[in-house]
Amino acid sequence: VSGATVGLRRRPDRPGPRTRTLATVVLVVVAVAALLGGLELAGGGRAARELLGAALRPSLDPELVRQLAADAVTTVTYAVSAISVAVLLGLPAAVLVSGVVGGPRWRGPRQALRLALGAVRAVHEIVWALLLVTVLGLTPLAGILAIGVPYAATVARVVGERLQDVADAPVRALRTTGARDLTTLAYVHLPLAAADVAGYLTYRLECAVRSAAVLSFVGLGGIGFRITLALDDLAFDRAWTGIYVLVLLVALLDATSGRLRGRVAW
Amino acid sequence: VSAALAPRPRAGRGLAGRLGVAGATLAVVAVAWATALGDATGRLAGAGELLARAWRFLGAVAGTGTDADAWRDPSAWWDITRLTAETAAIAVAATALGLAAALLTLPFAARSLALDPAAGPAPLSRLLLVSSRAVHAVLRGTPELVWAFLVVFLLRPGPFAAVVALALHEAGVLGRLAREVVDDLPPPPGRALRSLGAGRVTVAAYAVLPRGLPQLTTFALHRAEVVLRATVVVGFVTAAGLGQRLRLDVSFFRWTDLALVLLAYVLLAWLGEAVAGRLRARLR
Repeated sequence: VSGATVGLRRRPDRPGPRTRTLATVVLVVVAVAALLGGLELAGGGRAARELLGAALRPSLDPELVRQLAADAVTTVTYAVSAISVAVLLGLPAAVLVSGVVGGPRWRGPRQALRLALGAVRAVHEIVWALLLVTVLGLTPLAGILAIGVPYAATVARVVGERLQDVADAPVRALRTTGARDLTTLAYVHLPLAAADVAGYLTYRLECAVRSAAVLSFVGLGGIGFRITLALDDLAFDRAWTGIYVLVLLVALLDATSGRLRGRVAW
Repeated sequence: VSAALAPRPRAGRGLAGRLGVAGATLAVVAVAWATALGDATGRLAGAGELLARAWRFLGAVAGTGTDADAWRDPSAWWDITRLTAETAAIAVAATALGLAAALLTLPFAARSLALDPAAGPAPLSRLLLVSSRAVHAVLRGTPELVWAFLVVFLLRPGPFAAVVALALHEAGVLGRLAREVVDDLPPPPGRALRSLGAGRVTVAAYAVLPRGLPQLTTFALHRAEVVLRATVVVGFVTAAGLGQRLRLDVSFFRWTDLALVLLAYVLLAWLGEAVAGRLRARLR
């Protein structure tokens, strides 16, 4: 059944079904043409066949699998450490930018902090890693901070917005009893937002695992480093093994964090 | 007070339960730090040395003590302006391409569209459902950077390769988000259309998308901001946009050029946030 034949009532100001179908076809043709126009194959069909064929038969070399398992552990430890940094820096910042504490008097500093956090977020983890490596040297601490610092800015924004969205009635009820900002923060804002925040943090942990895997691009160990090595050797089958281990790791975290989210309440 | 107000899910109840969760979390974090740092703490320079290094680095970025800084070089400003525009174009194109791919696979990946309970078991649809979800998982689980590494084996380095690499990851992310949005919609309108004999494309177009679109657009705008940030890593590999420039600047220790690129990214992110915020507000 084509879309046009379903007898939906048409508003008079809308173009007719034929015009719309024609416009859709033209747009699709233009989009596809633009895509194909940009399609310049570099390695030709052979490279494509080798690359995609390797996806179906990844290397099962036991040595490689053992290395990848160790890399997976490294990647997860980086991610967990980075999230702890993000929480330590991000939650206080979230309280500050949310405006829950301090009231209208602090609007100026709050706005400044918000802009600064935006700037911290704008710089990708890998760029943070490049910058931190020039100062700290090629140590795991550089990798952990490279993820932790921009993630703290993201946590501050998201958790800050969540704190702002807390229902108004309980806050006002507590205020009529004479409670101050810190009291409402401790007894209304934080408890009401805690479940969502915990869920969000487990989601960020997944993101951190992916980021940690990618960080090995600057020379810090992990799954990504193994993938890069394999690609440098044009060993596509070994690269795909690394990719599948990474996908498996993220899927595993996804499943467990989903379960944790349901279980843990604060 | 809070106990009466908070709608509390199960488990983790009581002080003991909460302390247990907190303790376990702390233990995991401590083990992670110990394992991650390992014996590397010995290699870390002292705090004084680190501060001195950081100070020197900031000075180099600001351009103190050099004549050849990019701040006063019009050609650097022009080059970076051009690359900023290219970066924005890459981000928009990649999000659009990823969204298109996600929407094209939506009729197979969303349970409420793919499976019709009234029509009985449909093994082919079920197979398509499982396989399209698996494809989304692989697309999503593989970071943009790794896609970029793979894509440059197939396509010439350049903005288009960057768009494809970003879009591959985005198709997986948006594919999952779109299917969750669709599966959370109340089913009656779709069922009504289907009882009239409508196929899954028609149901998607007339019953699902109109209601799911605002939420989906919100997600797409949010992802566009993420993509904008990710252009830098993909640019490293595919030699496109500001990422390429940044990589060269770091390699050649052109710290003032690097500062310009970072400034461009910050401005771009602020602009993107403002535009997305305005579009979101209009959708409400």
